[in-house]
Amino acid sequence: MRPIKKPKPSIHGGSRAGSGRKKGSSVYGETTKAIRVPESMLPTIRSLLAQRKLQASIKTSSDSTPSLLPTLNLESLSIPAEEPSSINVPLFISKVSAGFPSPAEDYIEKTLDLNDLLIQKPAATFFVRAEGESMLGAGIHPNDILVVDRSIKAVVGKIVICALNGELTVKRLKHIGDEIILGAENPAYSDIVVREEIEFVIWGVVTNVIHSV
Amino acid sequence: MIQPLIALVDCNNFYVSCERVFRPDLLYQPVAVLSNNDGCIVARSQEVKDLGIKMATPVHQIKHLIKRHQIHLFSSNYTLYADLSSRVMQSLEAYSPHLEVYSIDESFLDLTGLCSHTSSRRNSIDYALQIKAEVFQNTGIPVCVGLAPTKTLAKLANYAAKKWHKTGGVLDLSDTLRRDKLLPLVPVNEVWGVGKQTTKRLHLMGIFTAHDLASQSVATIQSHFNIVLARTVQELNGIACLDLESIAPDKQQIVCSRSFKRRLTDEKELIGALTCFAQTAAEKLRHQESVAGSISVSIRTNPLSQTDAQYQRSGQIQLKQPTNDTRHIVRIAKRLLKEIFKLGYRYQKCSLQLGHIQPETQRQQMDLFSVSEQSSDSSTLMNTVDHINRRFPKAIAISAAGINNDWQTPVNYLSPRYTTDWDSLPGVT
Repeated sequence: MRPIKKPKPSIHGGSRAGSGRKKGSSVYGETTKAIRVPESMLPTIRSLLAQRKLQASIKTSSDSTPSLLPTLNLESLSIPAEEPSSINVPLFISKVSAGFPSPAEDYIEKTLDLNDLLIQKPAATFFVRAEGESMLGAGIHPNDILVVDRSIKAVVGKIVICALNGELTVKRLKHIGDEIILGAENPAYSDIVVREEIEFVIWGVVTNVIHSV
Repeated sequence: MIQPLIALVDCNNFYVSCERVFRPDLLYQPVAVLSNNDGCIVARSQEVKDLGIKMATPVHQIKHLIKRHQIHLFSSNYTLYADLSSRVMQSLEAYSPHLEVYSIDESFLDLTGLCSHTSSRRNSIDYALQIKAEVFQNTGIPVCVGLAPTKTLAKLANYAAKKWHKTGGVLDLSDTLRRDKLLPLVPVNEVWGVGKQTTKRLHLMGIFTAHDLASQSVATIQSHFNIVLARTVQELNGIACLDLESIAPDKQQIVCSRSFKRRLTDEKELIGALTCFAQTAAEKLRHQESVAGSISVSIRTNPLSQTDAQYQRSGQIQLKQPTNDTRHIVRIAKRLLKEIFKLGYRYQKCSLQLGHIQPETQRQQMDLFSVSEQSSDSSTLMNTVDHINRRFPKAIAISAAGINNDWQTPVNYLSPRYTTDWDSLPGVT
């Protein structure tokens, strides 16, 4: 039998006394903590932090002018409203047998919300209904619902909704230069070259297709 | 010292812009939106303004203009406007932690410390242009931004940004030199809070422009008018007197009233109308989590008619127990109507008013001897009704409201509810 060797205590790494940031030395003038936050709330939280930072910096430089600063009011922090139409679908980790009081209820892990999957920016997201077959190749069938995010930049390759001579149409943006080329995804349709005399506005970028089977 | 900076973001021709988001073909066409019963013009596109058509003009007075210039008319589609409004406000929330939604189409933002007109690093004009661009990108609604150290000046800056296209839709009045140049050009009635009557009296005193008003001494104005106008004078001089109210005050009074398409003579029909009003009013009440302490009902004949016999009466009840239960409100409204209704008249208008509104939580304790008309199941039932009606509009109604309400006023030019109804989504080819 071999004797069990105790690992030698390392002299490298680990915390050293007196190292690191001093307590309360952050830009906010107090200790900070890392948290996870929903992406949609980032701008709100960032601007709130910027305010706090500013307040802290003013406070340290002169204590006489705090009344001019906007007060940090947590109640005015606006949180995007939950979609009233959202349906939460519980996800089970065990199968449920019909007719028997479910023992699985203790195992609900979380609920899935399709809005999380399909919508990044609720304020800028609209739904439209596809008509016609020009985009069959892109998986867009007549009567499908398209999820459109207006906040996304329309670049070449994106499927876009645009107003073409006053009519909303869905096409793939194929080229932007002296002229703009919109492509259908169906050999029966030819490309549309947008010349100067055509009224043309990009309305939004399609992010998802909802298709019933 | 940091100078305060307030932004007023105001949507351009809001109702018209909402209609145009889904009708790009109308982008350069004359468009007007009509009031509740298609009676008057309540929103005009620039093209309609250029024709000299004023706000609140009755439609029948300008039939010839509508035909000649092919003005596109829309009935008010409040569902659509409310949805786009909330998208605009949501977009603005990213730009300031302190926001006051002032009306359906305008908001005050506190930008103090976030940017300034003197800083080249974060210039206020650039910041405002960014706000303007993002709101348009997100929602398709064009806005103008007015910047100033006070709310009254921010309003004025917005007015100027809209009026003078050279501003590019953004104007900062932080600089006193710029204020001195602009204020003499603005008629005093365009100043926030200066109404018709005040304007008349100011004119008599030789005060015609915003600059004239700003040059008055605060004491003079306060003695001739009131503290409110005195504050306006201070605000015009860059001294902030009005704070941002981040939480909208709850409605103190809820009024539902309609003129009928045809005259009603039957008590039953009036009960039907009142029941509809009660449903709407009670739902609003529950939405703001309040209860009403008084209910009043009024009816009248058409005062303009030469031939009809005239009659007008109203009745009010103070409730022992404030309520927001539709059934309770309907019951009381019916009782009131019975008191004031007289057979033999042709009624043109009826209204229901809920007053003494207070938060539900403050509802007083019942006295020992009164019997509760509000059962404990009431709020559960009403919540369920509201919930179902939100998902399936008008699915549940009190039976007296009737199904075939042909007294209701016509809406002939209503656009689809593009953003709130799966069956009304805009089509794309």
